[in-house]
Amino acid sequence: MTHRLYSLLAASMLLLVTFASLIWLADADFFKSIMAFFKGAFGGRKYAYLLVTISKAALITGMAIAALIAFRAGLFNIGGEGQLVIGGLASAFVAINLPFGGPAGIFLVLLAGMIAAGVWAIIAGIMKLWLGVPILVGTLLLNYPARYIASYFVSHPLRDISSGMPQTHLIEKSLWLPLIPGTRLDIGFIFILFVFCLVLIYCYRTVGGYEAKMTGLSIDFANASGLKTKKISLETLALSGAIAGLVGAIAVLGLHHRFTDGMLVQPLYAWTGIVAALMVSLIPWAVLPAGFFFAAIHSGASGMERTADVPKEIAIIIQGMIILFVASKVPTAFNQNIGDGK
Amino acid sequence: MLESIFDPAFADSVARISIPILLAALGGAICHRAGVFNIALEGFLLMGAFMAVLGSHFTGSATWGTLSAICGGIFMALLFAEFHLRRPGDPIVVSIAINLISLGLSTYLLRAVFDVSGVFQSDQIQKIALIDIPLIKNIPFLGSFFSGQSLLFYLSLAIVIFAHFFFKYHQLGIWLRAAGENKQALEAGGVSSKKIQFIALILCGALCGLGGAQLSISNVGLFVENMSAGRGWIAVVIVLVTGGRALPLLGLVFLFGTIDSASLRVQGFGWPQQFTEMMPYLASLLALIFVCYRKLKFEKNTRGIRNV
Amino acid sequence: MKAELHEISVNFGTFCAVNNVSLSFAPGEIHALVGENGAGKSTAMSVLFGLNTDYQGNIVINDQHRRWKSPADAISAGVGMVHQHFMLQETMSVLENVILCSEPVNKLGFVSFATAAKSVQNLIDSYDLQIDQTQKVSELSVGQRQAVEILKLLYRRSDLLILDEPTAVLTPNEKNELFQSLSNFKASGKSIILITHKIDEVMMIADKVSVMRSGNLISSKLLKNTSKDEIQQNIIGGTLPKPIKRKKMHPKNIGFEMKKVIIPGLATRRKPISLKVYLGEIVGIAGVSGNGQTPLVEAIVGLRNILSGNMLLSNETISDKDVSARRRKGLSYIPEDRQRVGLALDASVIENSCVSQIRNKKFSNGYFFNLQHLRKFSEQLVSEYDIRVGTVKSKVRTMSGGNKQKLVVARELEQKKQLVIAENPTWGVDIGAINKIHQELIKMRDMGHAILLVSNEIEEIMGLSDRIHVMANGQLSEAMSSAEVTANKLGKLMLSHNDPTLSEKLEKMQP
Repeated sequence: MTHRLYSLLAASMLLLVTFASLIWLADADFFKSIMAFFKGAFGGRKYAYLLVTISKAALITGMAIAALIAFRAGLFNIGGEGQLVIGGLASAFVAINLPFGGPAGIFLVLLAGMIAAGVWAIIAGIMKLWLGVPILVGTLLLNYPARYIASYFVSHPLRDISSGMPQTHLIEKSLWLPLIPGTRLDIGFIFILFVFCLVLIYCYRTVGGYEAKMTGLSIDFANASGLKTKKISLETLALSGAIAGLVGAIAVLGLHHRFTDGMLVQPLYAWTGIVAALMVSLIPWAVLPAGFFFAAIHSGASGMERTADVPKEIAIIIQGMIILFVASKVPTAFNQNIGDGK
Repeated sequence: MLESIFDPAFADSVARISIPILLAALGGAICHRAGVFNIALEGFLLMGAFMAVLGSHFTGSATWGTLSAICGGIFMALLFAEFHLRRPGDPIVVSIAINLISLGLSTYLLRAVFDVSGVFQSDQIQKIALIDIPLIKNIPFLGSFFSGQSLLFYLSLAIVIFAHFFFKYHQLGIWLRAAGENKQALEAGGVSSKKIQFIALILCGALCGLGGAQLSISNVGLFVENMSAGRGWIAVVIVLVTGGRALPLLGLVFLFGTIDSASLRVQGFGWPQQFTEMMPYLASLLALIFVCYRKLKFEKNTRGIRNV
Repeated sequence: MKAELHEISVNFGTFCAVNNVSLSFAPGEIHALVGENGAGKSTAMSVLFGLNTDYQGNIVINDQHRRWKSPADAISAGVGMVHQHFMLQETMSVLENVILCSEPVNKLGFVSFATAAKSVQNLIDSYDLQIDQTQKVSELSVGQRQAVEILKLLYRRSDLLILDEPTAVLTPNEKNELFQSLSNFKASGKSIILITHKIDEVMMIADKVSVMRSGNLISSKLLKNTSKDEIQQNIIGGTLPKPIKRKKMHPKNIGFEMKKVIIPGLATRRKPISLKVYLGEIVGIAGVSGNGQTPLVEAIVGLRNILSGNMLLSNETISDKDVSARRRKGLSYIPEDRQRVGLALDASVIENSCVSQIRNKKFSNGYFFNLQHLRKFSEQLVSEYDIRVGTVKSKVRTMSGGNKQKLVVARELEQKKQLVIAENPTWGVDIGAINKIHQELIKMRDMGHAILLVSNEIEEIMGLSDRIHVMANGQLSEAMSSAEVTANKLGKLMLSHNDPTLSEKLEKMQP
């Protein structure tokens, strides 16, 4: 017990020292920065910043859920970014071209995002099952074409020329996700919460979730026991991609109301989601607090940049270091042999 | 159109563009042979590129810039070693974390130290000198490939040749291979596989650092946010696909370099920028599919595996 | 060299693996350390070899107290160990493997292979080992690989050789060659420790016998002062289990049949395999591992495609069905590798008990599973088979080898499928569990199920089977009734993978 306490203390000290050095390098005031951090994450007039944190947390948690589902089944899907972008692009496209609006329209747009991203994920699955390309590499390599395809579409065919930026037209108001009354927070996070609950049921109570878990723990065991691992892999990838697509659609409809080049890639939603899922060793209920935790770090960093002139990238550094410390303490999320199932 | 793409300047650019990937892939190959699953090459490369500019700017010398690039790469490698070798961190998680830290740190320092966003350029940055080889440079086409390149080009080719002998005949090279293939056997013989893997990581860090230097203070003389732009990942793919074997690795690296160069050229023809930027990744994907499919077919025929 | 262990104790947490054991080993002597699986023999020797540095007690070499920080220290003191699972680099040559970690190097660190090759060849010649040092290890037979392991010890001038279960993977022929080599070593003054659970071999070759049980040293005597019965009694700590009674069955209906099946990966000569297993009998396939048993079993279970021929389960073709369809039709499978194929180590007992049956109406309605039913089922398995585990929610990884295996067997047999395929079902398992598993298999047979038993252990095959085949180099011999067969006859028919005398032996086999 004392050993654990000691290493926790040591890690915290190290993080603090890193944090302080980085702040010093930026020529910023230490205490001002700390205050700005907490204000940026949780404060603001009428808790405006806290709401931003919640909004970010929704997206990060959503991506963490997507990663969780895939990793849990033994699929090293690190193509969340590509799936997110394709989903966002598809939803923006449908939203702009939809002849009607309102709840039905929102539903269709979300669905479009999910389907498009799900298909993008399945491509990697097909490459693995029929062409032998490891999932790790296949999903990764699909990230770049996704990014470039989206960039192309919003710079040329779908571009809103008048805005002068590589982005689509603004989506019509009736398709915007409604806001929580009295705030600027959209209800996207409620969707994510709902998906979170569904995923919990999936992981803990459904046959599909159980089979996926067994497949992830030992593919040889799964095969010998008669599980249809090919089918399970494809279904899981589709699900993982679909959730990423949903996150993209929510970002488009709720947060930005249009698709701008790089808006889903720049904030590192996908990678943050992946490390959040890995950090909690793929324990399903824990991705929610993990997502919120990382969102707070990012919001806090934005606050620091606003008030204390500290570049917000400090969030990424601190996030990475936390991952390193946690990864070396908790049992690994992956039990399989290197080279297997990838 | 083809002639305007494949001219002598093209050969020159293929060589130039391939160097960072070659160095990163060599580093990755060493880790792979030694049994370290390192997919943080992107992070190593990026830090090397940033440190090169940092060093060169503040000392006005390309040599010091290169040395500081090596230090940058080694620093990330030490981080990897600490959390994966000394502590039981999963290499994939550690890799992703390091990639993130590298991205964050390089961008952060860009803004904190140089006070700019996006790109940093200065007159004080010294680029690595290019070397002209007297007779070779006159050979049509191949001349511009082999001559007039930075020191790092010749260094990397030398490393490839040296590595062949190193792995075959040098004790450390043999131990590296042993650590990757069956580290229990090495341990039972009394050699610490962790020590060996540590050395592999340091070498990888140094090589990736050099690759970063080529990127920032040779091909150009500046630093751009996220300068490595996926090249580290391409190196990862190349290492995984070739298993670290020298000839296939060289082949794939130069293939990628060729397509990358071609894509830059093709931009001049009015093709959308995004498409040309996508070309190298699509090409890598196709090459990957080709290699993996053949392997799959081979396995199916010799072993008749039903469920892959 | 004289080596002694004084009052050695090894604890893994609260579990006592070795309890106050003292042994002495003299030069020119073969000392057998016997006991069943889990008795602590390998653990005790791992202390002597420096693999385990967390112990109480003393190591004394030539009357000097020594303490190892790692195997390197033990090796330089002259202690060498050949492990049960060979530690060789497959892609490297024999020479490279032998000199690994002790390579002769010049000032720059480059290895002088010429010098090394000469010394190694000297050793090969002086002990008359049949190895070509330029060959890649991956091309060697199991017996040859073991010879390479021993060569490693000789190269490092080991005076004390520890061999852990050396005959587990050898054919009877190779066993004799090994024993001949050991006699040569003994004659040149080396001290040899043989860790084994095979008493017959001990009686053949050992000078001294020490018995361990549950971490304790029970006895340590010269062979001439003890007897086979006494040794066996000491190993078990009680009376020997009675041989299992079986019903007299008159099998009439065929449960499972293979007709001229050609399986890829079954050695280069793709000979068709044909066999029948009747309901109410146990058919045993004997053979040293690596002769095609794995591809054969995989083909039957559905994990490997077949090129031609037909497989029938209850008279219905299953060759085109996948694993789950075959299981539904009536197949259950006890795999050889319980850690990778039989179980998911990081899942709980409950989760491991029901994977094949999760879609049964008993356990789920297709979408949601019934946790209560799953739990009850796994508790049933645990109590019926006396499986020692914390609770059914505990992770399987915490269980001992024997209990893990019992869980696998319980789970598979409980499905009461027509055909049971058991692959080395008692490998690495303690005697109590071995007995229980054998009992249950016979019970299934008596109830009229068809059992296909694939095993490396001749005693197991002979003790359980009604009819026996031998598998060698991908070929299946004709079925022999167990009454007509002796261990000797089986031994002659068995081959080692990559055996250099392959062609002559194949002539002796039936077409």
